Amino acid sequence: MSALLEIEDLRVTFRTRYGEVTALDSVSLQVNAGETLGIVGESGCGKSITALSVMGLIPSPPGKIAGGSIRLNGEELIGVSPARMRALRGSDVAMIFQEPMTSLNPVFTVGDQIAEAIMLHQKVSPDQAFRDAVALLDRVGIPSPDRRARDYPHQLSGGMRQRVMIAMAVSCRPKVLIADEPTTALDVTVQAQIFDLLNEIQRDFGAAIMLITHDMGAISEMADRVAVMYAGRVIETATADDVLDLPQHPYARGLIDCIPTLGRADHALKEIPGVVPPLHLLGKGCAFADRCAYKFDRCDAEKPLLTDHGRHPVACHGAEEGRI
Amino acid sequence: MSFSFLIRRLAYGLVLMLGVVVLNFLLIRLAPGDPAVVIAGEMGGATEEMLQSIRAEYGLDQPVLTQLWIYISNVAQGDLGQSYFFNQPVASLIGQRLGPTILLVLVAQLLSILLGVFLGVIAARKPNGPLSAFVSVFSTLGYAVPVFWTGIMLIILFASTFPIFPVEGMASVRLRDAAWYVRGLDVIHHLVLPAFTLAIIYLAQYARLSRASMMEVLGSDYIRTARAKGAGERSVLFRHALRNAALPILTVAGLQFGNLISGSLLVETVYNWPGMGRLAFDSILRRDYPTIMGGAVLCLCHGGGGQYPHRSELSAGRSAAAGPGMSGIRTTGPRRRGAAAAGQEGANPLCAPGGGAFTPGIFQARKRAG
Amino acid sequence: MSEPTSSEYVAESPAREAWRMYRRNLPAVAGAVILLAIVAATLYGSFFYAGDPFDIVWAPHEMPGVEPGFPLGTDYLGRDILAGLLTGGAPTLTVGLAAAAITMVIGVALGALAGYYGGWVDTLLMRVTEFFQVLPALLFAMVLVTLFSPSIWTIAAAIGVVSWPQTARLTRAEFLKIKELEYVTAARAIGARNKRIIWKVILPNAAAPLIVSATLTIGVAILFEAGLSFLGLGDPNQMSWGLMIGANREYILDAWWPVTFPGLAIFLTVFAVSLIGDGLNDAFNPKLRER
Repeated sequence: MSALLEIEDLRVTFRTRYGEVTALDSVSLQVNAGETLGIVGESGCGKSITALSVMGLIPSPPGKIAGGSIRLNGEELIGVSPARMRALRGSDVAMIFQEPMTSLNPVFTVGDQIAEAIMLHQKVSPDQAFRDAVALLDRVGIPSPDRRARDYPHQLSGGMRQRVMIAMAVSCRPKVLIADEPTTALDVTVQAQIFDLLNEIQRDFGAAIMLITHDMGAISEMADRVAVMYAGRVIETATADDVLDLPQHPYARGLIDCIPTLGRADHALKEIPGVVPPLHLLGKGCAFADRCAYKFDRCDAEKPLLTDHGRHPVACHGAEEGRI
Repeated sequence: MSFSFLIRRLAYGLVLMLGVVVLNFLLIRLAPGDPAVVIAGEMGGATEEMLQSIRAEYGLDQPVLTQLWIYISNVAQGDLGQSYFFNQPVASLIGQRLGPTILLVLVAQLLSILLGVFLGVIAARKPNGPLSAFVSVFSTLGYAVPVFWTGIMLIILFASTFPIFPVEGMASVRLRDAAWYVRGLDVIHHLVLPAFTLAIIYLAQYARLSRASMMEVLGSDYIRTARAKGAGERSVLFRHALRNAALPILTVAGLQFGNLISGSLLVETVYNWPGMGRLAFDSILRRDYPTIMGGAVLCLCHGGGGQYPHRSELSAGRSAAAGPGMSGIRTTGPRRRGAAAAGQEGANPLCAPGGGAFTPGIFQARKRAG
Repeated sequence: MSEPTSSEYVAESPAREAWRMYRRNLPAVAGAVILLAIVAATLYGSFFYAGDPFDIVWAPHEMPGVEPGFPLGTDYLGRDILAGLLTGGAPTLTVGLAAAAITMVIGVALGALAGYYGGWVDTLLMRVTEFFQVLPALLFAMVLVTLFSPSIWTIAAAIGVVSWPQTARLTRAEFLKIKELEYVTAARAIGARNKRIIWKVILPNAAAPLIVSATLTIGVAILFEAGLSFLGLGDPNQMSWGLMIGANREYILDAWWPVTFPGLAIFLTVFAVSLIGDGLNDAFNPKLRER
């Protein structure tokens, strides 16, 4: 069975004043119908670029898709006409952004903004679209949706706005829903509500979700499968349980050790030393080598590839040689 | 627009006018020499009778505050004094000249906003494209060219090389008895060069400002949302982006009126356009103070009535519709500096500098993409 | 992904880094060169090309390039245009600088007070600023100049008095922004007085946009001076570019050159100044450096 969304060997480059840097390198991912794929990693590791590539929204210039393929339902998206891409955006693949505070247009009512999304892809009258928008607001749990639909974004709280964004994203029943850190900007209590809502939406609408996050907690709650990204590459991928229980890559372990666990006082909260290196300073070796406790000679000499060493695919020389 | 808002607007206009009247009064008294002589102007030696009548009319032999009161109450009754040079009441003199100036200024303003914003919006789509480069160069040139010189160059060009537009006055004498629409078309025909001359600097300014403003808006999250919905490029530009980018543009447009009047002063002089600017020029050359001061009061009614409330209206509108939403946006340093530069730009009388400060829009987009 | 700025890798003083950025900006350097050339021609031109610009030295309306003694031709009275160009820059440039200085002093002082103290001080000063902003600046300057008899200093003062409001607004905006920053709070915490905070803490940090604004103000002031002298309100005893255009205006259809060259001179000067202003703006604005 071929996957609903299939990314293969995707390479994205950006022109900067340090020359051309590779933001994504041989990224391959699959999302199957009805499942949730979690993509984790620190800021700057290429999660959002991956999402924007699928949406065809890489800012270009300076960005450029330099190679690979993205197939949605078997249809190649790279090199597709702008008109076709527009038709797919919002209807077959939709996206929820990180910043609900700024992602809604301040000069239109939220109802109008949802109705616009509907009218862009369906032949309905403006009145009907607005009624649909109100129904969607109701569906995503906004009280008195009739009145709220006529509100401007600044009249709503952050959580409410994210619900509006979700309503807008699911308004055309997309097959793939990309959620880019949908809860990062929200209060913790609201975060849980938004995740619940996403789960419900997935059940009702049958959408596949690509959840981008740096929060392993969110992954354990939401994801069926996980891809860990680092410095523009996928470094480990497996089912969520596998990655959470038996992470192979030292970076994935580090991320999991960062999850605070209730009732385990002996378990000191760890952190990963250092930061993600700037893309233009990437050498020929493993990008994580400088931060890795298990580093050995080969790590500096050769880039590890994503290969299965028995358990699940991981890109690490140490794991390959059984040193970890 | 609410009623109380209108009241506030009028009140502010009145206070402004009062301020100008007082300023006028003070200026005449501060000028060296006998105020009566100053008011009489350079008549080649005003007669003693004339000076006496001026002293009586303005109450110059009475205490200063009484003089001020007399002046204010005269102005309030629409009596702006007597022009000793034109030998006419200043109010009627101005009445004849007001129409042509308003026509010129409004047409120039409209022309510059429409063309400028259109240019700027199109240029903002490709910040490094040729049109963007053109807008930058054009606006820098537009800033640097003295408006009266542009006018003169256009006259040289159109008077002999391409004699398709009249280069002087507002109407052709030979069409004096023609039908009204012929005369109307004739005025429009005469209007082309002055309006274009006046519009050109502001056009450059609006193009640059709207390009900058659009680029900033185009880098914002809600534009990405619009694109993610599948909105087309035209809808993104003119529906989603321009509505947000319009706020600074309109603010500047409001502030621009006073500057347009300054500009029209020069343009009218160059093209012999029978408006207020021409009148001000003539009366200043003749040192005809009552006319100059009357003109100043009027320009301010215009400025005060049309301009400040426009801004407050905008800021009110901002806080109602977009304000809190906008203030929710993480405000980065350069963005604010851009805003400050926008204020600066709006205020600059003859130019449009500082637009470069806006350019970071695209970088925000690039940065967030990671 | 935040792009690393060079300051993360190379520690440099801001002024020096700005200078480095400025030097790499070709139009900005070109602007500086043009302006220097104009200033030099104005200061030293008369050493190499003597002649009183008011003297009638030749037949009127001699074409440029015809008579070797008068490479740019003569005007309607037969006065040498090149001599006029070389001497006519002095009042324009002097007034430009002086007016910009006056503008900056008034504008920065009022803007700083309004922005720093806020409250009723702010309200009052901003009302006054708005009042001056709605005055049609040129008309107001004309009135001032006629009332107080035209000379370089009255003209500069008049231009300064009408153009400070935008500087005040800019300064206020900067002060409003900067006074909320942590280092101002820190300065206050160690007991610095208001005067010290305004002068030593906030003002230096607001310097970049103010310097840019000052540069551009010079350009505006030059245009103003040119406009005034074009209208015949300049110092009548001094040749200036605006005056040359104004004097020859009646004869433009007979001779294009007496108005064209002084106009080009004004244009080039202001153009150079604005290139410098834009260059400074780019150099001071770290966000743009990534380009």
